[in-house]
Amino acid sequence: MSGAVDDGDDVYLGCESCGLVSRDVTGDDPGLVQHCSRCGHVLHATKPFSLQRTWACIVAAAVLYIPANTLPVMETTSALQRDEHTLLGGIHELWLDGSWALAVIVFIASIAVPVLKIGVLALLAWTVRRHPDWRRLERARLYRLIETVGHWSMLDVYVVVLLAATVRFGPLASVSTGAGLLSFAAVVVLTLLATWSFDPRLIWRDPPATPTPRDGRRLA
Amino acid sequence: MEEDSPDAPLKPPGTPGGPAPVPAAEYPQPRVVKARRWNVSLVWLVPFVAVAIAASMLVRSIFLTGPRVEIQFKSADGVEAGKTEVRYKEVVIGKVVSVALRDDRQSVGVVVQLDRQAASFAVEDTSFWVVRPRIGTGGVSGLGTLLSGAYIGTDAGVSTRSRSEFIGLEAPPFVLRGEPGTIFVLRAEDLGSLDVGSPVFHRRTPVGRVVGYTLDSDRDELSMKIFVEAPYQKLVTLNSRFWNASGIDLTLNASGLSVNTQTLASVLAGGMAFDAPPETARAPQAPENSVFTLFPDRRSALAPADGVAVPVRMVFDQSVRGLAPGAGIDLLGVDIGRVRTVALQYDAQRHRFPVEVMAEIYPLRLGPVREALLRDANGAGDAVVLQQLVASGLRAQLRTGNLLTGQLYVALDFIPGPPKTAGIGSDGAVRMPTAPGTLSELQPQIAEIVQKVSKIPFDDIGRDLRTTLRSANAAIGQLTPDAQKALAEVQRTLSSAQKTIESLDRNVADPSSPVQRNLEDTLQELQRTARALRLLSDYLQQHPEALLRGKPADAPVPNR
Repeated sequence: MSGAVDDGDDVYLGCESCGLVSRDVTGDDPGLVQHCSRCGHVLHATKPFSLQRTWACIVAAAVLYIPANTLPVMETTSALQRDEHTLLGGIHELWLDGSWALAVIVFIASIAVPVLKIGVLALLAWTVRRHPDWRRLERARLYRLIETVGHWSMLDVYVVVLLAATVRFGPLASVSTGAGLLSFAAVVVLTLLATWSFDPRLIWRDPPATPTPRDGRRLA
Repeated sequence: MEEDSPDAPLKPPGTPGGPAPVPAAEYPQPRVVKARRWNVSLVWLVPFVAVAIAASMLVRSIFLTGPRVEIQFKSADGVEAGKTEVRYKEVVIGKVVSVALRDDRQSVGVVVQLDRQAASFAVEDTSFWVVRPRIGTGGVSGLGTLLSGAYIGTDAGVSTRSRSEFIGLEAPPFVLRGEPGTIFVLRAEDLGSLDVGSPVFHRRTPVGRVVGYTLDSDRDELSMKIFVEAPYQKLVTLNSRFWNASGIDLTLNASGLSVNTQTLASVLAGGMAFDAPPETARAPQAPENSVFTLFPDRRSALAPADGVAVPVRMVFDQSVRGLAPGAGIDLLGVDIGRVRTVALQYDAQRHRFPVEVMAEIYPLRLGPVREALLRDANGAGDAVVLQQLVASGLRAQLRTGNLLTGQLYVALDFIPGPPKTAGIGSDGAVRMPTAPGTLSELQPQIAEIVQKVSKIPFDDIGRDLRTTLRSANAAIGQLTPDAQKALAEVQRTLSSAQKTIESLDRNVADPSSPVQRNLEDTLQELQRTARALRLLSDYLQQHPEALLRGKPADAPVPNR
């Protein structure tokens, strides 16, 4: 990833696509967008509206996290009975059944990780504005961590959708997705979007003495 | 897009022709275009949409959630938290949330989350019960729960007062609310083979069922609830009689053996029937919860009402073997009462054991006769009437009802004898004087006959008879060869007779036989002789003188 390099008065921008370094010629003008002269990729010192988008996604994810946990994610219907499973209920059942390891795994994947992501993103977005100097390296590592973890967040959704698609034995047994699964998927997507929207370069932005003009102004 | 390698020099903009070194100070200038106007606030639509979606989901799920109720069961057999459903008419209206022992440890509290649509079930007269498979004589129910596990059945209440704590029923109610029909109460001596679910018949058609029974432990009274389905509840009138139609009613009494059954199902599974007593006017329909008596059998059920019984005490100086409690009391063949008890007593003065028979007489069974009798007695009670009848010669007598079984009954009859009066004992029982029974009179006579019969020397008679038969047999044996001889003679005689007849036939009957021929000639001769005689007689008539003179010479034949 390329970033902005502030060399005296000149500001240089690295292309995120091809790596070509260009000189920022627009300065502060928000009405202008610079494209890489070689590959045409958009150039910006930091992603535009990064914090706004991150915040929006975090809020949306946090809101949807409530129905994701309270509503059933899966409905199993068999000849015997019909059951609805919520995330926490499923974990509880696993725990009661003695499958503690599995319960812990599911808990981490379904409950802990989304909460962690939302929390960490909120923390990152918050510190960018309030405590830009605070432990930049650790924050950067946190960001990398949640970015990596994010790839696996859809695991639950995949499992349920696969079950719903394969377990179709007519009246004997069938699995269908519940409203909670939709919420959960939305939470995962929104956290992914939030992660993607957050520009880690903001972590390394100079202290308020020399704020990055765009984001600083927008957030002001 | 060209490949970027770490070594490849960056191409300056505007020189697509080939690589050119870029001066350190000369960084390429990016292309600058006008930014599209981006409405910043649009990003914030995302959380708003999320809030809207989440809110709608939550609101919907809250809207679908009804009240929570706690049901108290004796046992949570088959009830599982989070699994067991609550159903009404097989529609799921809720789910068990938790199952916990109550504080008193006597029962189980089952918390049920009702659906929103079932919120109206949380009223005070709703009943809940656990549906488990049940196999009874009335049929099999709840078979589906064998696989699916138990569920909680519901009968929706109609009350408007809400309630959140219920006491669950141990068995499903046999009448669901709103089922058309009427409930009646029956008082019974015993349950017999009836059970909850036993059918109720009318004219051998099932029209209802037993829905429950309770044995009042304080009053020792059995009452049964039956449900008669619409529209048959109209058939239950105020004078309907119910009787236990279970099993085979085998009655062995003075009238002999009688067998009475309803349908085969009720024979096996029990049941009851009702009907109006015959020849009664149609009574109005019985209201709900009317109380009836359940009679043990059809006969007693349809018998006219007995009314108040008059107790009667009779003392017999004879064996009462064959007289059982319940034996009938006859007045000239009309059954008017029942024997209650039979007890032996001791008469110290006579050193005898008279038998005291306590009985009940139902004056109502006399029908119009009773009214006439009461009129005669100027309105005095039935007991007084009975006393008057005794004064005019009414006596109790033991009679044999059935010679095969030796069953006795008490007959009231007017028997000539010294007049007696009937007192009324301290227990209110009329002291009915008794007469020796016909059987007790008959017995010595029969004994006498038997004695006489036993005196007959059957052995000697038999011996003599045998001797006689033997000699007869010998005589017949001697007779046999002579008889055979005689028979042979007869046979021979007969054959010779036959021969004779045959020759006779041949010699006489044949027209060509000489006898026949001679006879014919003789007859012709005789004919001629007769003719000659006639000629002679004719001539003599004309010429009597010829007798003297003889025949004159023939006249000369005239010559022509």
